[in-house]
Amino acid sequence: MTVRIFVDGWDPAYGASFEASATAGPAAPSSAEVDAGVEVPTDAWRPLTAPPAVRAPHVVLLVDGVRRIDAGLWTQEEDGASYPGLAASYAAGVVRCDLGRGAAELAGARVERGLFTASPSATDVVAGQLRYAVHRVAGTGELSKLPAAVQAPLTALEVEVSNAARTDGDLLIVDGPLRNRRQLPRTIGYIKTQHSQYLPAALSTVVTGLRAGERSPVFKLGTAWGGWSWYVRLPGSAGAPWAGIVRVECSAELPPQEAIGLADLSLVTLPRFASTPYKDPRAPQNLIPIAGLERRLRALLGDPRLLYRALTLAAAR
Amino acid sequence: MTDTLPAQPSDTPGAAVGRVLGTADATPLQFWTAVMPGSFLQLDDVVVTRRELPGREPVTIAGVVTQVRARHEGAQFDSDVFAIADGTLPAQVQEAAEITATRVDPEIYVPPAPGALVHRAEGDARARALHFDRMERRIPMGTGRDGVPVYLNADFLDGQRGAHVSISGISGVATKTSFATFLLYSVFRSGVLGGDAVNAKALIFNVKGEDLLFLDHPNSRLDDATIAAYAKLGLPAGAFPDVRVYAPPRAGDSSGSPDVSSRLAGVDSFYWTLSEFCADRLLPYVFADADDERQQYTMVVHSVAAHLARAAQPADGGVSLDGVRIGSYPDLVDHIVEQLTDEETRSEWAGSAINTGTVNAFARRLIGSKKDLARLIRGDLATRRPHSINTAESAQVTVVDLHNLPDRAQRFVVGVTLKSEFERKEKAGTAKPLLFVVLDELNKYAPREGSSPIKEVLLDIAERGRSLGVVLIGAQQTASEVERRIVTNSAIRVVGRLDPAEASRPEYGFLPTVQRQRALLAKPGTMFVNQPDIPVPLCLEFPFPAWATRVSEAGAAPSETLRSIVQAADPFAVVGRGPALADDEIPF
Repeated sequence: MTVRIFVDGWDPAYGASFEASATAGPAAPSSAEVDAGVEVPTDAWRPLTAPPAVRAPHVVLLVDGVRRIDAGLWTQEEDGASYPGLAASYAAGVVRCDLGRGAAELAGARVERGLFTASPSATDVVAGQLRYAVHRVAGTGELSKLPAAVQAPLTALEVEVSNAARTDGDLLIVDGPLRNRRQLPRTIGYIKTQHSQYLPAALSTVVTGLRAGERSPVFKLGTAWGGWSWYVRLPGSAGAPWAGIVRVECSAELPPQEAIGLADLSLVTLPRFASTPYKDPRAPQNLIPIAGLERRLRALLGDPRLLYRALTLAAAR
Repeated sequence: MTDTLPAQPSDTPGAAVGRVLGTADATPLQFWTAVMPGSFLQLDDVVVTRRELPGREPVTIAGVVTQVRARHEGAQFDSDVFAIADGTLPAQVQEAAEITATRVDPEIYVPPAPGALVHRAEGDARARALHFDRMERRIPMGTGRDGVPVYLNADFLDGQRGAHVSISGISGVATKTSFATFLLYSVFRSGVLGGDAVNAKALIFNVKGEDLLFLDHPNSRLDDATIAAYAKLGLPAGAFPDVRVYAPPRAGDSSGSPDVSSRLAGVDSFYWTLSEFCADRLLPYVFADADDERQQYTMVVHSVAAHLARAAQPADGGVSLDGVRIGSYPDLVDHIVEQLTDEETRSEWAGSAINTGTVNAFARRLIGSKKDLARLIRGDLATRRPHSINTAESAQVTVVDLHNLPDRAQRFVVGVTLKSEFERKEKAGTAKPLLFVVLDELNKYAPREGSSPIKEVLLDIAERGRSLGVVLIGAQQTASEVERRIVTNSAIRVVGRLDPAEASRPEYGFLPTVQRQRALLAKPGTMFVNQPDIPVPLCLEFPFPAWATRVSEAGAAPSETLRSIVQAADPFAVVGRGPALADDEIPF
């Protein structure tokens, strides 16, 4: 006798949103230790431009993932207890932008579906032709914690698809912090929204004073997931001090010179991908290939109404 | 239903080219196909797909591509194309093709299942898709866009199930006459009609230039590619073997030599003698304008014609009327006018209760015809000289040159020739041998409005010709201006390049929208052919003529044409032809 499952009647969109809301700038000051004098002494901080010899790589890979809750679930255990669960679809993909050839193509995409719950007795849910593999969540597993549990398998999926698409001399841009992907070569993390203020106020004015196509000097973050980091202002924005500012990071294990090289490389590569406001509400930070990739990936996730119906049918059986 | 064909050929279609789309409605008669990467479909390609049915045999749906489109998937804005071409926005180019079904076999009208594989139809599958397998007798018409022959069902040409061809297209680029002659060539040379082809005759009116006067001359510009194109259709590349060319006598020439400039040998002149004109009541064909019929004087025309038939006596080429010998058409006209204006003789000629205004209108017109018809209606040439157009006694192909005749004379020749041919066929009473009549500018002879003697003959041919073995191959720039009953009686409709305003007329309703648009830019040699068997018109290209179409292309003339006209005529036929000669009289 397997555990009974009930699909929550509420639209899953009412649950916690995955998408970090774009804010005007970093709100919370960070307590992280910052070493800002690696490239330029802190008292000489100034906007930097890329050396003229730096050229964008011919092949840029951009990796991103999307997630969607297909349904909220409740289990009924044999002992009468009940656990919340999430049936989520997530997909990761890589866009291979061959700038030399002028062709951007989906170099790889994987879709997976999972049932995230703390229920000890839950099993895979088969909805129509799809299988939601169970991912057991440790702890009490209250509903509000479940969405975050999707991130780990998604990141693993992103690493998997991006590894398959690598070639020599390319640059891999990861959407979001690098976290546990720092071992990947020639890889930068691309952070669109600034939640934390890492730099002291004096240095922040250099960042807000950046013009399009300029970057801040490289600094080192001392946090657990820290590493070499720098700010870049993308073109196409005007007005707010933090508009169009993105933070880019690379692995802390790289020597400083390599980090600075990557910083210059990002400065000649990223502006080309910046989006325009009338096409993308998250412009210019949300890069064009990423937006296209997300659209493709969301299409690959399948029709949510169809999946919701299939899950409801599966639960009722 | 245990009957299974031994080798069901539908199991062997060509390569898979796509899958039926699910984002657009798939219907039994029309559906969209997404084209696989690395494949392509072009307009007019023939494809086939299958639909499995529970408890029934699978349905094979075959069709032709009537539209293709390509688009960027993943692009939201028009300007995204720049980002895509720049290599920053990922997008996929997806091509899709609209398929219009031509055949559903067995006839269970179910839509194809989205996702079903679509194959390019090749070989037998293609022939089945286009219903060629059901055609017992197939006349090659040209090659499709895929370079494979397309056929015409002979049943719809020779009158068994239908007849008549209507060819429309603008002048110059639509190559209407070329297609008509190619069709004839294919009918005669493909062997499809069997023994009938030997006896079948063709009557071609040449209305423009001297294009059709060289049908029996090989084309000196014939190249290997064209010969190969003919071979692909199963046809020899050559000229028409048996052609006779008639031209009107030269104006003002008392010897009656034919009025042609480029073709010098093997041309006979045609004319009517005054006694034929009177006895056969040809006068109405002088008034063959649609305008003429609306006038009051039609009555006069008919009573004068009747009087001429009654009163005229043959007199050595000319006629004798009221004791006067008349030796030429102008003389005849003068005599008639004189008699009509004379109060005493008028009622005898025109009947009673005809007022002078009507008579004058008639006389005015009649006098006006003198100049145009004087060289065609003769009283000065020997009666026994062969001069009439009779396809039964002529060669396989009879070309009547009209191009340098004025309009009224053209109408007279077409009207009288068609009438006499049709009457001859009526008397014979059998459909065989077939007579193909090629007539360009049908809108002039059978206009939609009004009526005229020629239009009556053409309508007769259109409506009864099928059973009498008279097949009209009519060409016109605008089918909308041709009598509707003639167009609707044509089993086969052909369209070349069309005028944009003309293409939107309901007469071309058989063309799907895309083909109408394509007809606006069809290049010479491309035709859209609609035949009753196949629900979609086929686009085809027919090969360059293997016969000369102008003097500069003409190769060596066939030996028969090099003989003089006198030699070409059978002396015994000349002797036997005179109507007045009894068997025991001396013919000289």
